[in-house]
Amino acid sequence: MATATTSNIGQITQVIGSTFDAEFAEDRLPAIYNAVKIESDEKGVKINLTGEVQQHLGGGRVRCVALGTTDGLKRGQDCVDLGAPVSVPVGDATLGRVFNLLGNPVDGRGPVETDEHWPIHREAPPLADLSTSTELFETGIKVVDLLTPFVRGGKAGLFGGAGLGKTVILTELIARIASSHGGFSVFAGVGERTREGTDLWLEMQETEIGQTGRKVIEQTCMVFGQMNEPPGARLRVALSALTMAEYFRDATGKDTLLFVDNIFRFSQAGSEVSALLGRMPSAVGYQPTLATEMGALQERIASTSKGAITSVQAVYVPADDPTDPAPATAFGQLDAFIYLERSISEKGIYPAIDPLASSSRILDPQYVGERHYAIARRVQNTLQRYRELQDIIAILGVDELSEEDKLVVHRARRIERFLSQPFLVAEVFTGKAGEITPLADTIRSFEEICDGKWDHLPEGAFMYVGSVEQAEEAAKKMAAEVAS
Amino acid sequence: MANARALDKRRKSIRNIRKITRTMELIATARFKKAMDRASAATAYTARISQLVKDLSQSGLEVSHPLLEPRENPSHAALLVLTANRGLCGGYNGNVIRRGLSRHGELSDSMEQLTFEVSGKRGISAMKFRKLATDAEFTQFDDQPSFEEVEVLANRYLDAYAAGTLDRLDVAYTRFISSSRQEATVETLLPLGALETDEAADTDSRGESMYEFLPSAGSILEEVVPSSFKVKLFKCFLDAAVSEQIARMVAMKSATENADDMIKNLSMTYNRARQSQITGEIMEIIGGVEALKN
Repeated sequence: MATATTSNIGQITQVIGSTFDAEFAEDRLPAIYNAVKIESDEKGVKINLTGEVQQHLGGGRVRCVALGTTDGLKRGQDCVDLGAPVSVPVGDATLGRVFNLLGNPVDGRGPVETDEHWPIHREAPPLADLSTSTELFETGIKVVDLLTPFVRGGKAGLFGGAGLGKTVILTELIARIASSHGGFSVFAGVGERTREGTDLWLEMQETEIGQTGRKVIEQTCMVFGQMNEPPGARLRVALSALTMAEYFRDATGKDTLLFVDNIFRFSQAGSEVSALLGRMPSAVGYQPTLATEMGALQERIASTSKGAITSVQAVYVPADDPTDPAPATAFGQLDAFIYLERSISEKGIYPAIDPLASSSRILDPQYVGERHYAIARRVQNTLQRYRELQDIIAILGVDELSEEDKLVVHRARRIERFLSQPFLVAEVFTGKAGEITPLADTIRSFEEICDGKWDHLPEGAFMYVGSVEQAEEAAKKMAAEVAS
Repeated sequence: MANARALDKRRKSIRNIRKITRTMELIATARFKKAMDRASAATAYTARISQLVKDLSQSGLEVSHPLLEPRENPSHAALLVLTANRGLCGGYNGNVIRRGLSRHGELSDSMEQLTFEVSGKRGISAMKFRKLATDAEFTQFDDQPSFEEVEVLANRYLDAYAAGTLDRLDVAYTRFISSSRQEATVETLLPLGALETDEAADTDSRGESMYEFLPSAGSILEEVVPSSFKVKLFKCFLDAAVSEQIARMVAMKSATENADDMIKNLSMTYNRARQSQITGEIMEIIGGVEALKN
C-alpha cells in the first residue's frame, strides 16, 4: 500500500479513450480505487484531471478511469497518487450547494467551508445495522399510493422508456415530498440533461418547505455529472451523492431523501469504460460486472438503525424492453417498482404508470391493511381482465362481450382514466392545479368506482381529477357545457 | 420490444380466431340467403293480408272485431323480446335488448301487470344478468322458425286477449328493411288497430273497398283478423331471423378484417423483434471475439 506522506509519482504510459495507464514504482503501486491526479500547463493547455485506479496490470502499471476528459494527455506525463479514493465534502456546509462528482462546487458561490471529507468508496452498512421499516410513505399521487405504496426508508424505482415522464414524476415527488419533509435531501443528476438540473435547482430556490418560510434548497444538496461528462464522471457521480446522503444518515440521524436521475446512466457509463478496461462484453454488450457494480451502489442506499435514506431512482428502459440487463439488475434492488408504459402515455394519461406491471413490496395486507390491499387487487383484476379482453374487442367488437365483461370494460375504462392526476410541477403547462389526494380518499374513490357507484359518469369526467367527487363535478360541468 | 416468442404465440391465436370468424361469415352468408327467401315470400302474403283487413275495416260496413279495438283501460300488457340463440353477430342482440328494456320500463310503469317473455338464449342470459324476472322463455326458434311453432304462441296470446287477461301485446325485434338496413323496433301487435293506424298513413291506402263480401264482412273478419295477427307475429320471427344472419355476416366480415390488420401489425413487430434479437446476438459474439483478440 502506498502512502501519501511523500508524493508517489508515476508516468502515463498509454491513453485509450477515457481510460489511461500509468507506471509507478513496483513497490509503491497505488491501491485500487485510489485517485490519481494529473496537473499540467503546457503551451497554454491546462490539464487538471483526476483518475481512479481500476486495475493492476502487473509490472508496476495500473489502469485508470479518467473522471474528466483525457484531451491533451501525453505519454510520459507525471501523475500523482493521492493515496486515497476521491473524497467529497459532507455535512451542513454542503446544503444548498451544487457539486460535481469530485466534490467541487459548480454553482459559482465560492468554496465550501468544511473540514469533513468522506471518500466516495465505502462499505455498505453491515446487515446487523439495517433497519427493516415497513411504514407507508404517502405521496398524494393516487396510483402510487394505491398500487405501489412507497416505503419510508425504502427504495423506489421509476422505470420507463424515452419521453414517458420519468423526470417529471421525479421532480413531482421532490415537490411533494421534499416540501413537506423535515430532513435533508440529496439529488444526484447522473447522465441526464444539464438543463433539467438547472430547472430543478431554480425551482428548489422558489419552493418553500411547508409553512416555515425556508426554501427547499436550504435542506438540499445536488450533485451533477450530466450527459456531457465523460463516462468516468457519470460512473462515479452517483457514489459522490450517495456519500453525502450517507453522512446525513450516519452523522445527523435525520431522515434523508436521495433522488437519482438516472441510474441507468450509471450502468451505461460502466459499459462504456468496461471494454476499454479489457473486460469481455457480456449479454447485450454490457459489462460482465454489471450486477456487481449495481449491487455495490444499491446496497449502500440503505436505512440503518441510525437513520433512514428514502430513495427514488429513475431508471431508463432502453427500447422499452424491461428485460434489458441494465434495468433488470436495478429492478431486483427496489422496494417499490413503478413501470411507465408507452401505450398509456399515448392515450394521454399521465402519470403513465402501468398499474399491472408496477408493484411494491409492502402492498400486502400485513402492512397496508386489508381494505387497501383488497381494493388495490380489485383494481388490478379489473384492469387485467380488460387487458385480456382487448384483443377480442379489437377483433369482434365490444358488443360480443358477455354482460359481465361489458361491465368490467365499462369500469376498467373509468379506472384507467381515474389513475391520471394533475401534477404540481405541470401546473404551469396544463393550467390545472396539482392535486394532493389523501390516501383515505384514494382508497374510498377506487372502492366506489369498483362497486359501480359512479358508472353513470362519462369517461372523460375521470381524467385529471383528485378524488371521485371532483369527477362528479367535472361531469356536471361537461353536461352544462353540452346543454349550453 | 416484446419478445419474439410471445408475439408469435399471440399471432397464432389471432390466426385461429380469424379462421373461425371467416367460417362464420361464410355460413352466415349461406343461411342469410335461405332466411331471406322465406322472409320475402312471407312479406308478400303479410302485406296482402294486412291490406285485406284494412279494406274490410274501411269498407264502410258496421263491422267491428275485438282484436281491432283498443281497450279502454288497458291494465294487462305483454312484452315479447326476440333475440338470437347465438352470439357473434355484432350489436344485433344488444340493440333489441336495449329497445326491449326501455319498453319494459315504460310498460311496467303504466300497466298494472306486465307479462315479460323472451326468446333466444342471448336475451334470456341478458335478463338474468339484469335480474329481471321473465314469465316465459323460448329457445326453440332458430334461424328457420316454423309457422306451426309460432302459431302455438299466437293462439295463446289470442286466447288470453279474448279472455280479457291481456290488453296489449308488444314485440321487440329487429325489423328487416333491406339487406343493408335493419332496425331494432318495438311494435304493438295487439290490439291490431294500433298497427292499422300506422299503416293507414302509408301511401298505398286506398279510399274504398273494391270488394263485395259474402256472406258478410263480419264473418270474413272473424276469420281473417286472427290469421292476420298470426302472420304478423310470424313475420316478426322471420324478420328477426334474417336480420340475425345479416348482422352476423357483417360482424364476422369486419372481425375477419380486423384480425387481418392485427396479424399484419403483429407480423411486422415480430419480424422486427426477431431481427433485433439476431442483431444483438451477432454483436455479442463479434464483441466477444474482438475482446478476446486483445
